[in-house]
Parts: sequence; structure tokens; C-alpha cells
Amino acid sequence: MSRKLTKEMKWGGGILSLYAIWALCWFVYRYFLKGSIGQPYVPTLDMQTELALPFSKGLFLGADLLGRSLLEVLSAGLTYSLTISIIVTFATASIGIFMGYMAVKGPNWVKLGFDLLINLIFIFPSILIAIMIMAVTGQSMKGLIFALIVTGWTGYAKIARGESKRVLALTYVEGARAIGIGEIRLFFRIIIPAILPVMIVNMVLGISGVIISEASLGFLGLGASPYSWGAMLGAAKTVLLEAPHIAMILSLTMAGLIIGLNLLGDGLRDYLDPNEN
Amino acid sequence: MSKFFNKFLYAVLTIFMALTAIFFVIRLSPGDPVETVLGQRATQEEIIKLKTQLGLNLPLMSQYKVFLTGLAKGDLGKTIFGAKDVKGLLKERMKPTIVLAAVSVTLSASIGMFLGVLAGYKKNKGFDKFSRIISLFALSFPIFSLAPLLVLLFSIKLNLFPVSEWGDLKHLFLPILSLVIPLSAIIMRVTRNKYLEEANSQWVMVVKAKGMGEVSILLRILKVCLPTILNIVSIQLSVVIAGTMITETIFDIPGMGSLLFDGIQNRDYPIVQGVIIYSTVTYMLIYFIIDYVNEWIDPRTQS
Repeated sequence: MSRKLTKEMKWGGGILSLYAIWALCWFVYRYFLKGSIGQPYVPTLDMQTELALPFSKGLFLGADLLGRSLLEVLSAGLTYSLTISIIVTFATASIGIFMGYMAVKGPNWVKLGFDLLINLIFIFPSILIAIMIMAVTGQSMKGLIFALIVTGWTGYAKIARGESKRVLALTYVEGARAIGIGEIRLFFRIIIPAILPVMIVNMVLGISGVIISEASLGFLGLGASPYSWGAMLGAAKTVLLEAPHIAMILSLTMAGLIIGLNLLGDGLRDYLDPNEN
Repeated sequence: MSKFFNKFLYAVLTIFMALTAIFFVIRLSPGDPVETVLGQRATQEEIIKLKTQLGLNLPLMSQYKVFLTGLAKGDLGKTIFGAKDVKGLLKERMKPTIVLAAVSVTLSASIGMFLGVLAGYKKNKGFDKFSRIISLFALSFPIFSLAPLLVLLFSIKLNLFPVSEWGDLKHLFLPILSLVIPLSAIIMRVTRNKYLEEANSQWVMVVKAKGMGEVSILLRILKVCLPTILNIVSIQLSVVIAGTMITETIFDIPGMGSLLFDGIQNRDYPIVQGVIIYSTVTYMLIYFIIDYVNEWIDPRTQS
């Protein structure tokens, strides 16, 4: 294989590593420099610096509505949103692969039930399902993650169903069956490696989807943390006239992360797609 | 005909399941509407009286029965707050949402298809690369971060459009723009890829060899691409529904989205049920129409 890394992958990877370094710096700052592991640092409120502009009052990006340093609040939001999106993406992808495979291999009633369930989740606006779940579980991190998993797995399941169908028809699967491979071994040793490339591309693109869903919930006042970028944008919207820089910085930071993920995902897709070359 | 019947049955089953799910989930979630209506200081008698009046004192299964029989008669009940007729309320709030969704979906579909075909036609040339970058940016600003930026630019800096009012055509511009930008970017990408896939296929080569003109080839390719594009539109429809909900809360539009959001916050059961019924039925209807249109355009999609 002498395929070259695409330009998009390099750009996407570059942007994402910047964000990763940022998150790491914040982690060290929070747990080791300013605070300790037992008592992590929390951005302090300060009436004096309320809505301060960037580069004023000793604050690099200015301050938010409560006078907290915008840079610190943004960093807290970054680690929060990365944590949630990575957990949710892994969980949804695993569930999706399993369910998608079962929809191909399982008995007829599983197939029918799968179709109905997917349609049901699809026609409900996902925000609504999330709101319902959050209402039952309360506004906690656990509830939020659960809500995002419930609404998120169907996309992966659809892709996994299509891919499993394609792979199961290939000759080497038939060969493996002919020499008497067990069902579980077939799934883990043959199906999963075969559908993984497609799933990884979709997972990279899916992370940005989860970041957006989480932020939309936060925006509607249903987030699990005051540092959710969506919640902060919702607050920034109310002071759009007085302090437009808050909304601008927040939007651009979030867009940068999503651009990085989308570039990497698109690049990976081109890189792994045998039809392109 | 039996296929149509099967599909119809399937749609009814899905809608029924959606209704049942919504009925039980919202009633089992914590929070009591009666307490919210009467406030903290209400006496026990008052609470019981209002509950009996609303039929909330009955066991859950009987409430479900009442709900279903009412639904069969086309009665959606009255709201818990203010005892308004839900059907009338929905009719009142439906217009902004339908205008918003219909205009933005048609606009995005036309813009996305046009730009997508253009980008595919000029593959790897300047326009294609440019459009790829633009669509990347368009997809990276979620609606709630795009809308404040648009307000900043058009309302505050340029002073062209009012921030949050409703009624005039002028007020539609920003909400629709914030819905159209991401949606048209998605449709453009899909159209471009599908166009390229078809443009490289054998039948196009044959038609070219026979000497058909560029424009008629283009139209034929477009016809084959249409089912894929319509499918994406139908998938994106649920995203648009969620999108209108956010846009309506941002721009203070009195539509179904903001109604639903308030209904959930206040546990106003009949409102939530009503909105869900309307949106699922509409969604299913569009889904089936698109399915039939697709089969009519391209019989190969019949599986």
C-alpha cells in the first residue's frame, strides 16, 4: 500500500491535534498547576470583570456574563464536550454494529422489530427523545449520555446492516463457513474487521454530530454542565448587543473543532475507499 | 395494491407506537402539571378537584383509553394551562412552522441540487474545490451558533433585518437563512457524489457515443439522481423539525416548535401529544409520498 495521506487528513489531523494539546494543557492546569486531583480548579466568578473585552483586565479572551475568564470556561467546555462525545460515540457504534448485524443474521421477528424501532427513533425528533429522557433521569451527566446513546445508535445500525449484508455475501465468508467456523468467531474475526474501516470513518464524523447534539441540548437549557458550549451560547445570545465577542469566540471555537473532525473524516473516507483510486 | 396496504399498515403501526410511547413516557416522567397550575399553596381539595376535572385521577390505563377514544373522534383534548382547545391552538401555531420548514426545504433542495450538479460537472476544477470548502464551513456551524452570528451581521452591524419579530416577510429572512445554509450544504454534497457516480457509468458513455447533446445528458443524469436526493431530504426532515424548534426559540417565532418546548417544560400533556401526532403523521405522509415518487421516477428503487 503506497497510498499517500490526503491533504484533508493532514489538515484535519493538524487542527485536531491543536485541540488535543489545548485540552491536555487545561487538564494539567486544572489538576496539577492551579488545583489538585482532590480539589480541581474551577473558573472563578468575578463581578469586576463581567463582560470584559478580549485583551482587557489581564484576560486573554475577555470574560463571560459571570466574569469568569472566557479562556478557562472555553477550555472546561472543550474537555467536557470531548469526554461526552467520545464515550457516546464508542457506545453507539458498538451497539449499532451489534444491532445492525443482528438485523441481517437474526430471525425474522428481529428484523421486523429492528425496522420498526429504527423508524420510531427516526421519526421522533431526536431532541424530543433526549428531552424526555432528561426529564426522567434528571439533568445529570449520566442522563445526558444515555439520551445521546438512545438517539444516536440507529445511524450506525443502518450502516452496519448494509455493510454486514455486503460482507456476508463475499466468497471468503462462505469459505470460512465451509470449514465450519462458529457464529461468534465469524462475527468477531471476520465481520468486524471487514466492516471496521467504514465504521471508523462514520465514528469520526459521528463525534462532531454528538458535539452538536450535546450543544443543542445545552442551548435549550437541558445540558448537564454549566460549561457546555451550547449552554454558554444560549447565555451569550442574551448579551449579543453588549458583548458580541462571547458568541463569536464560542461559535468559532466550536466550528474549528467540528471542521477538524469533518476534514479528518472526509479524508479518511477517501483514503479507505477503494473506488476513488 | 396489497403492497400499498402493507405500507399503510406499517405507517399506522409506527404512528400508533409513537403515540403510545409519548403517552406513557411523558406521564411517567417526574413533575406534576396540577401543582404547577395551582402553585405551592394549593389545598388538597383543590388539587383533587382539578385532577378529577382533567381526568388525571384515573388509573393510567383508563387515561390511555380515554385518550385513544378521543383521538378516534378527532378530539385532542384541552390544554392543562388555560383549558384551550388543543386542535385550535395547533392550527394557530402551525402556520409559521410549516412556512419555515417548507420554504427552507424547497430552497435548500434547489440550491443544493444546482450547486451539486455544477460542482460534479466541474470536478476538481476551481468551483468544485471552492464549493467543498464552503460546504465544510456551512456544516460546521450548528444552527444555534450560526443564528447569533447572522443576527450580529445582518441585524446589528448592517441593520437590515429585525432581530426577533414575526409577521412580515422580512422577519422570515434570518430564520430561513440559518436553516438553509447547513441543509443546502448537505444536499449539495450528496448531489455531487451521486452525479459523479452516474456520470461515470456505462449508460452515460453509450448515450454520449450515440451523440446526445450535453444538456439532455445532464437532465437524464439528474433524473436518475433525484431519488437519492429525495431520500436525503426525507432523512433530513427530522433534522429540520428539530432545527425549526431551535430557530423558533432563538427568533421568538410563535410556531409548533416553541409550543412543544413550552409544553414539555410545563408538562402540558395534551399539547405535547398534539404536536407529536401532527408531526409524526406529516412526517410519515411525506415519507410515503417520497417513496412513491421515487418508484415512479426510477422503477429500480422498487425492492
